[in-house]
Amino acid sequence: MTTHRFMVLRCGVGAVGLSAMGFGAVQLVTDPGVAGWTGVLEWLAAAVVLHDGVLVPLVLCLGALLGARLRRRLRWAFVVAGSLTAAALPVLLAPGPAANPSVRPLDYPRNWAVCVLVVGAAAVAWEAWRWAAARRRRR
Amino acid sequence: MGSMPAAPRPPEGPDSRRPRPPVPNDRVPAARARANVPAVPRPATARRLPSARVVRPRLTGLGDRARVGPLREGGFRGRLHDARTAVSLGRVLGVALVTCFATGLVSHYLQQPPGWAVDLLPSRPLWGYRVTQGLHVASGIAAIPLVLAKLWTVYPRLFAWPPLRSVAHALERLSIAVLVSATLLQLATGLLNTVQWYPWPWNFRPAHWALAWVVVGALALHVAVKAPVIAAHWRRSSPATRQLATADGRDRRAFLATVGAAVGAVTVTTVGQSFTPLRDLDLLAPRHPDHGPQQLPVNRTAAAAGITAERLAGWRLAVRGPRPYELTLAQLRALPVHSAVLPIACVEGWSRTAHWSGVRIRDLLDAAGAPHSATVRVVSLQQHGAYAVTELGASYARDPLTLLALDLNGAPLAPDHGFPARIIAPNRPGVLQTKWVARLEVTT
Repeated sequence: MTTHRFMVLRCGVGAVGLSAMGFGAVQLVTDPGVAGWTGVLEWLAAAVVLHDGVLVPLVLCLGALLGARLRRRLRWAFVVAGSLTAAALPVLLAPGPAANPSVRPLDYPRNWAVCVLVVGAAAVAWEAWRWAAARRRRR
Repeated sequence: MGSMPAAPRPPEGPDSRRPRPPVPNDRVPAARARANVPAVPRPATARRLPSARVVRPRLTGLGDRARVGPLREGGFRGRLHDARTAVSLGRVLGVALVTCFATGLVSHYLQQPPGWAVDLLPSRPLWGYRVTQGLHVASGIAAIPLVLAKLWTVYPRLFAWPPLRSVAHALERLSIAVLVSATLLQLATGLLNTVQWYPWPWNFRPAHWALAWVVVGALALHVAVKAPVIAAHWRRSSPATRQLATADGRDRRAFLATVGAAVGAVTVTTVGQSFTPLRDLDLLAPRHPDHGPQQLPVNRTAAAAGITAERLAGWRLAVRGPRPYELTLAQLRALPVHSAVLPIACVEGWSRTAHWSGVRIRDLLDAAGAPHSATVRVVSLQQHGAYAVTELGASYARDPLTLLALDLNGAPLAPDHGFPARIIAPNRPGVLQTKWVARLEVTT
């Protein structure tokens, strides 16, 4: 593709994107069904502040606490267990009784603990296997 | 999270304060990528190895006094905050978000078709809505680890210095702020919606619809702005990728595999709510296919809908059309019975196939002398909720599998499943499978 056509394509995609953003923004502001678009803006700002100002610094601190060596080895276990926890937060924390017995019917704290323990056990097994393999090589 | 240069311009390089040339640097590697010309070797600092010390130029100027903490040069020493990692994660995240958007559009238009389309909605494939809405929720859940990893990768860009270089740069950072905030809010509130938890003051559905357009638009804009960077890092062998520290390659592959494992983990522990072969691994989803009366989950119960014994006493089905009539439950059961194996699929992502039997809607309409093109208004006894009256377009109403179901899995409908009669039609959102039906009205 020539540089010119590449530029035209970029501008086209960008214009389509801007139009979609504009359409969404107009829907948000003009649809009375939303019932309070300024509240949505507050939650949008809160999402960024919580992520950039709280979650990522916490993750970086955890990484720093682990140190480079442990971080390299255990990063995968923390990422997988953390993702499972993030996906489980609503079922773990939803307040009050569910609307009916078929909503949130499982024992979620137990299931979450099982998930995290499986990841932890896999990490321990993997490290043990590596340690044993390294010992065999040294002999 | 500002502009990410195509080639790894060293964050600490001596040229980082030089005024930018009129043509952005980003274009050069893309041009190189197309011509397949090896890039000019970068200064050594570009390929800084983890242990290498970098000689920083002493920065002066009043504005630089504000460069503290993460704003300092070299404030982030960790690895993998590079464009190749961002591109590798970003394209998978992009696929997840676009899938989420497309399936969301399907759901929106099946629920709220424009007037001209009401009678044209496809009633095939039978499992259509089950698949699209299952994918909608699954791709949204899969996007959670992806978006967190992607934002972690580009996090140092949040502290790019100077914070704003030009009007264009300010607009670009603004568009990224919109993309990030809307994506995070959509994924978080969508997940909360699946557990029916609404801690915010606004209405979920119209806001989710509006923000979906903002996300997909901001994503397209982001891809357009970053196209040269993306092209330059598309492959492991792309010119700009090869400029990156080779020592990071293995680490990067391990990190990407880790994110893949996280996506797999959140998927297999939740997708069983709609993909029933994996229901034994459904540990963290808000629904389980086996939980509910008659082995089928319920959204709105009879109690929640205000259905009481008094309201059901003397129940008769009324069919209004050119030749209106009414039927008792016994008379309905005396009509020819048809069976169908159809899934019930909810907007919240769960679904389950069930055996339904009852009377065909089209037989009931023919008896009332309704034309084949008739749209049908279905009126429920339910007292609360937005779905007490729904519209059944002609394509559904004429489908031989669309039933006024009386039995579910071999037994009369449980009260929570719509006793004495409910609608079940193929390829239709669960909220429109109206329960406790009292009246069918031919409207055209």
